[in-house]
Formats: sequence, C-alpha cells, structure tokens
Amino acid sequence: MSDGAQDIMIGQLERELAYYRRECNDLGARLLRLQEEQSQTFREARRSRTVAKLIREAYRLADGELTPGEIGTPMLEMIIENALCDGAALLEEDGESFRISHAIGVGVEVPSHPISIPSPPEFFFTTARTPIEPLAYELTSILRLPYVLWAYDKPTGRALILGNRSESNVSRPFEAGDQELIEGALSVYIDIMLRKQAEMELRGAKSAAERASAARARFLATLTHELRTPLNAIVGYSEMMAPGSRYDPSPADRGRYTEMILDAAHYLLKLADGILDYSYLEQVLPSLRPEWLQADKVIANTVAVAAGESRSREVAIAATEVDPALELCIDPVRFRQVLHNLLGNAVKFSPAGSIVEVITACATGGGVTVTVRDTGAGMRPEDIPRALEPFQQLDHNAVRSFGGAGLGLPIAKRLVEAHGGELLIESQPGLGTSATVSLPPARVRLRRED
Amino acid sequence: MIRVAYAKHSDPGMAVRSCAAALGPGRPEMLLVFCGGKHDPFVVRSALRQAFGPVPVYGGSAAGAVAREGFGYSGFELGIIAFHDPAVTPRCATTRELLPDERAGGAALGMRVAELANADDVVLLFFDSVAQASPLRLHPASVIVDGFHAGFGRRPVCLIGGGLLTDMNLAGGWVFDGEEVVKHAAVALVFPSSVRAETAVMHGCRPVSTFMEITRIDGAEVYELDGRPALTVIERMLGLPLGGSRGHELTLTATLGEKQGDPFAPYDENAYVNRLILRANPETGSVTLFEQDFAHGTRVQIMSRDNSLMLESVRRGVEEINRAVARTDALFGLYIDCAGRGSARSGAPVEEAALVQMGLDPGVPLLGFYSGVEIAPFAEGRSKPLDWTGVLTVLRRRA
Repeated sequence: MSDGAQDIMIGQLERELAYYRRECNDLGARLLRLQEEQSQTFREARRSRTVAKLIREAYRLADGELTPGEIGTPMLEMIIENALCDGAALLEEDGESFRISHAIGVGVEVPSHPISIPSPPEFFFTTARTPIEPLAYELTSILRLPYVLWAYDKPTGRALILGNRSESNVSRPFEAGDQELIEGALSVYIDIMLRKQAEMELRGAKSAAERASAARARFLATLTHELRTPLNAIVGYSEMMAPGSRYDPSPADRGRYTEMILDAAHYLLKLADGILDYSYLEQVLPSLRPEWLQADKVIANTVAVAAGESRSREVAIAATEVDPALELCIDPVRFRQVLHNLLGNAVKFSPAGSIVEVITACATGGGVTVTVRDTGAGMRPEDIPRALEPFQQLDHNAVRSFGGAGLGLPIAKRLVEAHGGELLIESQPGLGTSATVSLPPARVRLRRED
Repeated sequence: MIRVAYAKHSDPGMAVRSCAAALGPGRPEMLLVFCGGKHDPFVVRSALRQAFGPVPVYGGSAAGAVAREGFGYSGFELGIIAFHDPAVTPRCATTRELLPDERAGGAALGMRVAELANADDVVLLFFDSVAQASPLRLHPASVIVDGFHAGFGRRPVCLIGGGLLTDMNLAGGWVFDGEEVVKHAAVALVFPSSVRAETAVMHGCRPVSTFMEITRIDGAEVYELDGRPALTVIERMLGLPLGGSRGHELTLTATLGEKQGDPFAPYDENAYVNRLILRANPETGSVTLFEQDFAHGTRVQIMSRDNSLMLESVRRGVEEINRAVARTDALFGLYIDCAGRGSARSGAPVEEAALVQMGLDPGVPLLGFYSGVEIAPFAEGRSKPLDWTGVLTVLRRRA
C-alpha cells in the first residue's frame, strides 16, 4: 500500500474512531439521563407509596394495646423510617401556645417551655431560600433543625413537624409535594389517637358502669339487711306492746322495749341521713363556698360539737395547739363535716378511757395537715381502700364497725378532694387509725398582723 | 459459637435489651455492634454494659442495618454479633489517629495488626468515615487502606471492611473501639487463622463514556478530564447544569470508574474501581471524589448507576457465596452495603438488601450495615476501597 493510500486509510480510521467515540458518548449520555429519569420517577413514586405504606403501618397501631398517649412514639418511628428525616415531633395546642407531646431523632431535645406560634399555618416547609421571617424562625427552633416540614390540624389542635440538618436530605429538599406526606401522617395519627381515646373512654365507662352496678347491687343487699334489722326490732317490740297482744309486758319491759324501738329508729334516721348526704354530694361539690377561716377556731368548734358524744363514750378528745394566725380557705360547713365524720368514727371505735388526738401541722411545701388519731379497733391496711369507697364496707365484717351507712369516710374523702386536698388513712388492727386531711399551700396562709 | 441479633427502636435502651434477649444467656467474649446514627452512642454503650457486663465492644455507627429479622435505614436500627467461642473470637487493634494524618493512622493500625495476624488471616476493618461535617470532609478510605498496607507489610492479608456513617447524608460517624465511643478512629478485628472468608463484591455501575484522561487533579478534586473542566464534561453528559443543592445530586447519578487490566477487554463489573462524586463545584469547574486514589494520567470512564444491573449483581453474588459456603462450617455472614444502594437513594424498585436477606443460605447467621465505603480484596490482589458496592462476606472455619 502506498503512503498516500495508508494516510487515507488512517484518516478514515480516525474519522471512524471519532464517530464511534461521539456516538458512544451520546448513547452513554442518553442512557445516563434515562437511568436518572427512571430513578427520579421511582423516587417520586416512592413518595406516594410512602404515604400509603405509612398509613397501612400506622393503622396497625390502632389494633394494639397502646393507650392514646403511647402511640405517639411508634408513630414518629414509622414517620422517620418512611420519610427518612433527622427528627420529628408531635405537638399539641395548649391555649395560646403549643407543647411537644412526643419527639424523637438526632439530638432532639424537648423544650420544657411552651412553644409560641402566634399564627400556626396548616402547611409549611423551609429550604435554603426561605427568608428568616418570624414563622420560619419559630418552626425551625422547635427541633433546632434548619429544614422543617410542618402540618397543623386546627380542629384538633395537633401538629406534626419533621426536620433535617441538611437541606438535601437523601438528595432532595422539602418541597410543596411533601404536603401529602405530612398531612397524611398527621391525619392518621389524629384518627388513631381519637379512636384510641374513644375506645378507652368506652372501656372506662363500661368498667365504671359495671363497678357501679355491682356496688349498687351489694349496697341494696346489705342495705336491705341493715334496714330489716332495726325495722324488725321496731315491728317486733311494737307488736308485743300493741293492744290485744298475747304478750302482756310489764311496765318495766314496756320501758325497755320503747328504748329499743327508739334506738332502732335513731339508727334508721342516721342511715337515711348518710344516704341523703352522699346522694346530694354531686350537687354540693360544685357549690362549695370557700372562705378564709381561722384554723384554731374551726378545729375547736368541731371538737366541741363532738365532745358530747365522746363524753358519753368516756373518750377524751385532745387537740394540739394551733397557731392563731393560721388561716384555711375552706367551705365552713363542708370542712367541718369532714372533721366531724372523722372525729365521729374515731370516738365511736375508741375504747372507754382512751384519747382521740387532733393534730394540726404545717406540711413541707406550705400546706397543712389535720390528723385525727384513735387507738381503737383499727382495720387491715388492705381494707382501707374499700372503706373509702361508697357502699363497699357494709357487707364486710371487719369494717362494719364504721357503722351507719358506712358513708362517712367516702363523703369526707370527696369533700377533702373538692378542697384540692387529700385524705390519707393509716390503720392497723388493734392499734387504731389515723385519718389525715392534707390541704395544699394555696388553701393555707398566715394572717398578717396589721 | 457466634450469635446475631437485630432490633429497631427509638429508645436505645429498649433496642439493646431487645437484642440482649434475642442473644440469650451467657456472657460473650466480645461484641461487634452496628448502631443506627440517631441513637446516642453513649447511651447505647452504657446500655450494652448494663446488659452484657464489661465485654469489649467494637463497631460503630451505621446508616442502617440488615439482618434476617429485618433491615432499614431509619437510624434506629441496632445489630449485634456476639462472639462466645474464644476459638473464633478476633483479636483487636485500634487507632484514634485518623484526624491528623489518615495515612499515618492507617499505617499505625497496620503495624499493630501485623503483630497479631498471620499470612492470609481475615481482618475486618471499620473506621469513622466523616472527618468533618461542615464543610463535609471524609476520612478517605484509600489513604487509610494504603497506610494500613504500608504498616502491615508485604504478607498477604484478607482485608474486608467499611466506613462508618450515621446516616445517608454523611452527617457524621463514630466508632466503638473496645473501650469508648470515639471519633476519627479505626478498628481492626483480626480473626484466628482457623477462620477463612468467602467474599463476593456486588456492583451496579456500567460505563457510559469512552476513556478520558484525568489531566488535572489535586487529591480528591478532579479539575480536568481530557483537558476540559471536569464538571462541564459531566454536565454535558447529564444534559443539566449542576450547582447549589443539585451538586449533591451528582452523588446519585454518575461515578468515575477506572478499569483495571486490559482496557479493551469485554465489560466485567469486577474490573472497575468506582469513585462516587461527593459534590460538584461550579466555581472551580471541578468535582470532588470520595477518594484520593486517582492521579494525573489515570484513564477513567463516566459510569452510570444501573439499578437492574445492581439487583442482578446481588442475585449473582449471593448465589456465588451460597455455592462457596455449601457444606462448610459457616460462622456468620457480614454484608457491608453502600448506603447509596438503599432504594431511598438509588431509586431501585427493590431493596437489594432484601435479596441478600432472603437469598443467603438460611443456615448462615447474617448481619449487615449500610456503610460509606466498602473494602474488599480486588482482582485477586490487595484489598481496595470500593464505592457503590455491596460486599458480602461469610466467615467460616477452615476445612
């Protein structure tokens, strides 16, 4: 081959090579773009699938045993798993501000202070181009993450926020298209939570109704017994004394029978009073009229009223000295009723010759406690909760000694609680009982001498 | 005896307790732990101490974990391998000196390993991938591995490993080095000579360009390809301008690959060393690679990720491993999976980790983690760091 022909051939080969190189690179570029488009399409589709998957997984929470408060964290775990964000939190509107109910993620700290968002938007997201305006500042400070995605459901006052440290989270910043994801997640959460709440309320109501029904059945059974005993006495002794009776009681017997009838009638009256008191309690509680009263006078007056019965039972009542400057914000009638019930019980079950103590003390933190302590029969610690429940103790031999309708302690407990306080009972069989009324600091003050 | 456990829970204590319950009674000799990056490592370390007592713990953060029971990259995963049998429990060497000089740190580690290892021993290497989060700077695996080989010497070693990340966004990384939670550290687990490894490297990229020569490079920064700005060349291929946040997207799209051996031999995925692009830099017209092992004159091709190729490669690799470990005394399988291969990043319609999870012989206990870079023996030679790969290795007793 001549040099010229060789040159021509080399030239052609070079052109051919250049052609193939160009075509190879063009085809490669097309392949690259197609591959990228395919990946992009898949990632877009993934967003829709993510919403569907999230909803599917989240609804499984509705079937579990979790309480409404417990579903927040697993819900956030699912959201983070599907949305691949750095942090997430659920918020609850609390008056003018929000509080975080659940939060998880990298370095996420739940702020203890309320979060103020004066005009919470229904949907919001931040990117590197978002101006640092108050709303963006407020929302990004919640998780302390600069890139956030936010949804808020006004009717329920619930909100969900997701956050990322870097804008290009898994290569894509938050965008308007994410509204479907975050609103879907929030809606599912709210739906499951409300469903759980309704379920719990229904279960609670069913359980309460069952308890109430059982208690009423017990109460009726025992009340029937309690009514029959004195009524039998009244009817029996009255028949014996009735004209034409085959009995011919002597005058002394008539006197004894009359006393027994009177005792039985008094007992019935007390029973009726207790039942009436308790049944009126629901009406009484909202209408408490607390006022600032001198503690020493309230206690002294109540002790004086109880002293009549205690003397007849040869039981002394000793009250500790109370600071005359100590004042309690209490309903005068109902708080005395509390002390009266406690003193009545203590005196009733104390042996003759014993002393019932009334101890008033300042509690740590600024509250006050009033303790009524006796050395009577006492009861088993496990019976105390029952003694504090209405209609529970009448059929129980160990605590029947509380007497009457057994409503004194339940009434006292409800009244103390209506004052924002607590009634604590401590007791041991054979050693006696201590009933302590605790009033919170808000109900206590020391009168200033002007 | 080696046991594997996996759990996923936002409460690290709960995740540890769950794993401890799955591992059953008995105090292990050592734990290898891969912990989702959303967990507080100190809380996890303390919970591990509470659950297992004063057992040395190695491993570190992971963008996610893979196990028989499940897999994920939410950041709440926890995977544990518990070594109970001293005969197969590795001895460990560590370095905390990557920050000042990765090569020197790698060399120091290599020298420590050389004191523990015999020729051809299996060594698992894990290191903190992120030197600095903002601006992002990685601890380059190529430099660490190069240093390791220099420190270890000329004896052959079966080095397998991965870079530890807290998440797919390369936000951080940390290491359990037996004692503490540390940054800028690397750990090497040296297995007894009775243990051998069967390893498959799964790829997923193919070339989409002719060969180009790197005509200007500084470390991991490639400025020019065939005398033109590297970014311009890649932008022209992609048909879109890169810059701002889009620069980050490049990581997902293209890589640069160097073909080993005969450049004109038919395509073989195992012949390529791929380098992911960390970011595009419109100001300098350059691209930053994950590694620094390309040089002036290196002939590279632009590579495209191919999800179907990736899935095929995994299926093929798992079959290969199953064949290799059939009728052997397999101890456990470790899957070191590039975080970018998760379908959230790759856009693959199927999670390739699921193919490993379901495909690997069910008799082999499996634990995997999502990594920043993978290290495996390459082309029958020394181990190299690899990008965009899944390295599946099954450790077995020598027959």
